Amino acid sequence: MIRDLFRLSFRNIRHRGLRSWLTVIGILIGTAAVVALISVGQGLQRAIATQVERIVGYNTILVTSRGLNLGQRIRLDIEAIRAIPGVRSAIAVRMETAYVEGPGGKGFLGVLGYDPAMQEFVAEMNLTVAAGRELSGKGEALLGGRTARALGAQVGERISVEGRTFEVVGILQAQRAGGFATGGLNLNDVLVIPLSELRELFPGPELVQYAVIRLADNADIASVRDAVRSHLNKVGERNAQITDFEDLTRNIQSVIRGVQAFLAGIAGIALLVGGVGVMNTMYTAVLERTREIGILKAVGAKDSHVLLLFLFESGLMGLGGGALGLVVGFGVAWIAVAIVSRVFQAQGSFSPVLSFGLVVGSLFFSFLVGAVAGIFPAVRAARLPPVDALRYE
Amino acid sequence: MTPALVELENVSKIYRLGEVDVPALQGVDLSVQAGDFLALMGPSGSGKSTLLHILGLLDRPTAGRVLWEGEDVTRLNGAKLAELRGRRIGFVFQMFNLVHNLTALENVELPLIFLGVPARERRKRAEEMLVRLGLGDRLRHRPSQLSGGQQQRVALARALVTDPALLIADEPTGNLDTATGREILNLFRELNAQGRTVVLATHDPEAAGVAKIRLRLRDGQIVEVEK
Repeated sequence: MIRDLFRLSFRNIRHRGLRSWLTVIGILIGTAAVVALISVGQGLQRAIATQVERIVGYNTILVTSRGLNLGQRIRLDIEAIRAIPGVRSAIAVRMETAYVEGPGGKGFLGVLGYDPAMQEFVAEMNLTVAAGRELSGKGEALLGGRTARALGAQVGERISVEGRTFEVVGILQAQRAGGFATGGLNLNDVLVIPLSELRELFPGPELVQYAVIRLADNADIASVRDAVRSHLNKVGERNAQITDFEDLTRNIQSVIRGVQAFLAGIAGIALLVGGVGVMNTMYTAVLERTREIGILKAVGAKDSHVLLLFLFESGLMGLGGGALGLVVGFGVAWIAVAIVSRVFQAQGSFSPVLSFGLVVGSLFFSFLVGAVAGIFPAVRAARLPPVDALRYE
Repeated sequence: MTPALVELENVSKIYRLGEVDVPALQGVDLSVQAGDFLALMGPSGSGKSTLLHILGLLDRPTAGRVLWEGEDVTRLNGAKLAELRGRRIGFVFQMFNLVHNLTALENVELPLIFLGVPARERRKRAEEMLVRLGLGDRLRHRPSQLSGGQQQRVALARALVTDPALLIADEPTGNLDTATGREILNLFRELNAQGRTVVLATHDPEAAGVAKIRLRLRDGQIVEVEK
């Protein structure tokens, strides 16, 4: 009997034709918006997780000032950190502002100290050389693209930093934006000299922007973190924060999730409006079919049969709109991602993700919206006294 | 003695229209025996339809009792009444009251759906009933594709498909031309001759003439019984 009621409901939906479609479209738009936003968000989350892992590495610990604030410097001794058991390699990024004179210009510039240990981090730090060669010894300097132009210096020429002479051996590759590993600093605007010489030019306690620690394969991340923490305490650094890959991913993901929940909430309002559309259609249907309800009751339909008939109708419209919205929403997500990738020339492609949970959730939720929207009209239909319904013109 | 099929004891029905109480039935006593053919006559507003609705368990009296085969059904809940209607009573209306987006066959199947009859048996019984009423070639037609007489026969098939104890007809010939109306009345007579209990309301004397007992109503009371 349930199947028969279902069939009757379906017939009634089809019978209403255009009006059913308009109602379904209301649900479709809401579901599509929610699905598009969530699938893009999940794609973004997945892309960021892989990017973070690629750049930072899952076996990496970052030491920064509190709140990942790279503008604030911290005190630490990189040699002591390298000595911690379980640490495979570690670098500290130290930057000072120095007075620089070149053949064609002069000024105050950021000077980054280069440590041979950084070799491993060249790609992440955007230290790739576009012209000339990398640093190999004392008295050598690499220039960022814009620095080279400001100083009017080319490979092979000489510049002076705080009165000390350096030979320009290479120019760094131009960058679109500051890399993560340089704290968002754009290396176009700096020059790089050996760390040992930066220490000589700026003697005194060493303050660094941040440190990157890479663990040995079998190292215990917790004990290394503890050791780093006790080193920081020993040198009197109270303002440092230790972050590992998971912390970082979690932080970024929680921001994305927050934004996503907010947007999906707004899209959910569209779905709610769709639900109101269903309710409106169902109330109209109850009015139009009052006489039919009377007939059904006269031939033996119970209130519960009439209730189910109308609930199925609204639920089916919700489900139909949800299924179509799922397809449309995912399509929209793909198109949106394609357009955004092209417009912003994003590095590394990412695609929207349609998870099992999203499919089931959106179908269930759209059905629920339809069914809930149908409750009041269906109850009204079920409660109509048969005689009144039959008398209705 | 076997109890009457339906019995009304001192039944009154009062409709409330705003502030005014409109009495539709006032203290009606009526007993319908199995095999009876009753015609309710009287002008519009005399209470014919109300009486039919109460007999057919579509409506409840304001006062008095309704006994169905000796059992008091006045206070029965809606679901029980619906089941009794579906199993034991068939209705035919003046306006045919077919469901427009269903075919003739599906309309006749409708009462069987609510009784939970399996699809195959349902189809068979509905088809047989339509064939018996001469509509074997109209099974897949929708009401709008049928003439008035054909629609009323579909409605009759729907009323009879559950093999009800009581057939109730409210002005069944009111929307038909004379010849077609006569056809339908003959069907009622045949049905009664086969032992079916029939109660019909009409103000057409010819229709009333087919019945064995004629009751005349005025102002919600039975004023004359003619056998």
